[in-house]
Amino acid sequence: MKLPTPPGLRRKPARPGSQPPKNGNRINGGAAATKKELKQAQRAKLKEQALEVPISMLGWLDERTGSTPFLRAFLFRKIPKGTNWYYTLGSATLFAFVNQAVTGVFLAMFYTPSATQAYTSTRHLTNDVWLGAFVRGMHKWGATVMVVLVFLHMGRVFFFGAYKYPRELNWIIGVVLLILTMAMAFTGYLLPFDQRSFWATVVGVNINASGPILGPYLADFLRGGSEFGATTLSRFYAIHMLLIPGLIAALIGAHLYLVAKLGTTAPPWLKAEKARELAEEEI
Amino acid sequence: MLGAFEGETVTRRRFVTGGALAAGGVATAAIGLPALGFALGPIFEKTTHNPWQDVGPESDFNPTSYVPRVITLVPEVGEAGKTTIYVRKATPDDKSPSDKGKTPLPYVAISTRCAHLGCPVRFVQAAQRFICPCHGGVYDKFGKVVGGPPVRPLDRFYTRVEGNRVQIGPRFSVNSKLERFHPRDPSNHIDGLWKYLYPSRPTT
Amino acid sequence: MDKREKEQYLREYGILKSQGKPFFPYAIAKDGTMALITVLVIMLLSIILGAELGPKADPTTTSYTPRPEWYFFFLFELLRVIKPPALVFIATIGIPTVCMVLLILLPFIDRNPERHPARRPIATLTGVTVIALMAYLTVEGALAGAPGTITLKVAPQYAKGKAVAASSGCQGCHKIGENGNAGPGPPLTHIGSRLPRNAIARTLVNPTAPMPSFVNLQKQHPDQFNSLVDFLASLK
Repeated sequence: MKLPTPPGLRRKPARPGSQPPKNGNRINGGAAATKKELKQAQRAKLKEQALEVPISMLGWLDERTGSTPFLRAFLFRKIPKGTNWYYTLGSATLFAFVNQAVTGVFLAMFYTPSATQAYTSTRHLTNDVWLGAFVRGMHKWGATVMVVLVFLHMGRVFFFGAYKYPRELNWIIGVVLLILTMAMAFTGYLLPFDQRSFWATVVGVNINASGPILGPYLADFLRGGSEFGATTLSRFYAIHMLLIPGLIAALIGAHLYLVAKLGTTAPPWLKAEKARELAEEEI
Repeated sequence: MLGAFEGETVTRRRFVTGGALAAGGVATAAIGLPALGFALGPIFEKTTHNPWQDVGPESDFNPTSYVPRVITLVPEVGEAGKTTIYVRKATPDDKSPSDKGKTPLPYVAISTRCAHLGCPVRFVQAAQRFICPCHGGVYDKFGKVVGGPPVRPLDRFYTRVEGNRVQIGPRFSVNSKLERFHPRDPSNHIDGLWKYLYPSRPTT
Repeated sequence: MDKREKEQYLREYGILKSQGKPFFPYAIAKDGTMALITVLVIMLLSIILGAELGPKADPTTTSYTPRPEWYFFFLFELLRVIKPPALVFIATIGIPTVCMVLLILLPFIDRNPERHPARRPIATLTGVTVIALMAYLTVEGALAGAPGTITLKVAPQYAKGKAVAASSGCQGCHKIGENGNAGPGPPLTHIGSRLPRNAIARTLVNPTAPMPSFVNLQKQHPDQFNSLVDFLASLK
């Protein structure tokens, strides 16, 4: 059964007189004269038939979700004049995070978070698994790239003054995301359990212990006890895999929602020309 | 409001709203409190002390230089639970004010965990110093700080001699006068008023 | 920003937005290209530099030099330069927490409606200074060597003395070239031009506190002691 084309996807009819007539200049259509016109007509008909399938599928979805207005507003919204390549840093950071999540899932299939087996499982993954070293390298260097991009993005927003009204809440969410990213880097670093990981984590946990009164308790929470023990690695693994990625995903959702709703700023060296012209006219 | 008498305080709407909030609160607590307790539990767990560990016969050690030995701090995690300590036979210089007339410890067992942030310190025989590779901490041969950011002397371990074998017991922390305290984390000061900012925890 | 400034901003923004292009395909094209470049860079780094796995974690070591990952070098260097023990918790917890709080509260601290960098000099200057400071600390942290190596190049006849100096813990208190701690002892990089050879030997045997005495080294290994003195005397 052929469903009617949804109103959002129906092509608007062309303005009268803007297109050349389909049947040459014959009135009331006569017999199709040239071979070229026949071929063109055939091609146009084939194109329409080919497009019917995806359009009706989309129409099926749209009737059941009502999402066309939202998608239209999101995809075809206007971005301000002068948006340049600096504005791509935010989505590049998102992409680096997605890279970490995907490579992290693959690594999690081979890794064992126990103090006695973490190192051997990592070594097995790096040396014996096909593309294991490559995926692990992508995860490790992806972390560096993500930290760099996060700081570049923050710097761009700062120097463009894009944290001012009405985007203050977005900035706050962004700073929390920065802190969570550094926490991911800290917890993930312990997991291979080689010398560098172990000692960097010992120092990091003791840095937390240096806070007056509450510090040692915070260190106990991170370590799972007063000494580096059996549950420390599992804690770091759970925090790195489940707790913080969940928070990051939720906050990225909020961050992107605000970006789409409030819009990205125009570069600060652009002034709205029309406003000045209007103001001059008024005077 | 329908069905309410004049001066009615608890209307049906208010009652049911209160009931919904109470039920929601109970459900949240039922899920949240155990989870919170689970996450925070280890903070309140009492650390089990390892029984006394044998590190060698008395003839292995001498009063002038430190001998490194490996002991187990945390059982059941294999190599990750071990640490190196430096052992030396005690001399009259090693008396601690905490001894108070009782016999002093027969051996001095010094931890290799720097009191600044926990990096592994190394004893340099030529200079008779413990040197930390991380942030520039230097200790003299008693473990007292002579340079850098460490906040107190190196931790020590209780020692005893059992039938000609030297045995190592639990860890304790010392202040700059070498008085004994409950073991602390690195970076926790103990001298003077600082010990109130970093009180000992009931679990260690 | 008062109400009038807010409305003015929203009006100007509305105009600039209406003069712009649609998100799809213009911004999506740029974002997609940048995403592709990001993934390619990550893959290239993985192929060229690889993921090295050091030796297994060994808590019993006494010869390892712990270092954090490069993006924490600025905090690491901060911990190295703040030497007084009473200020340790300021370097570990105090400064990073204060910076995080300032960062979160930035939109409420900076209420200037201006957004052009040239027209908000305080913000721009502060930002540039903070970035320069972090970059400097990161580089210094990267150069911080272990206290068992001396990278200073010396003539081959002083190599033995250099090895003795590296293993005797001198760098715990002295700077020799790029390596070592900047205190409590003075830097030794040009000690040869400040003290004659026999004065160096005398100081090693009879130093001022808290420097330890190397008289035992002189008695038990006189050849090592002499090569050490020769090496130090050559540092002009």
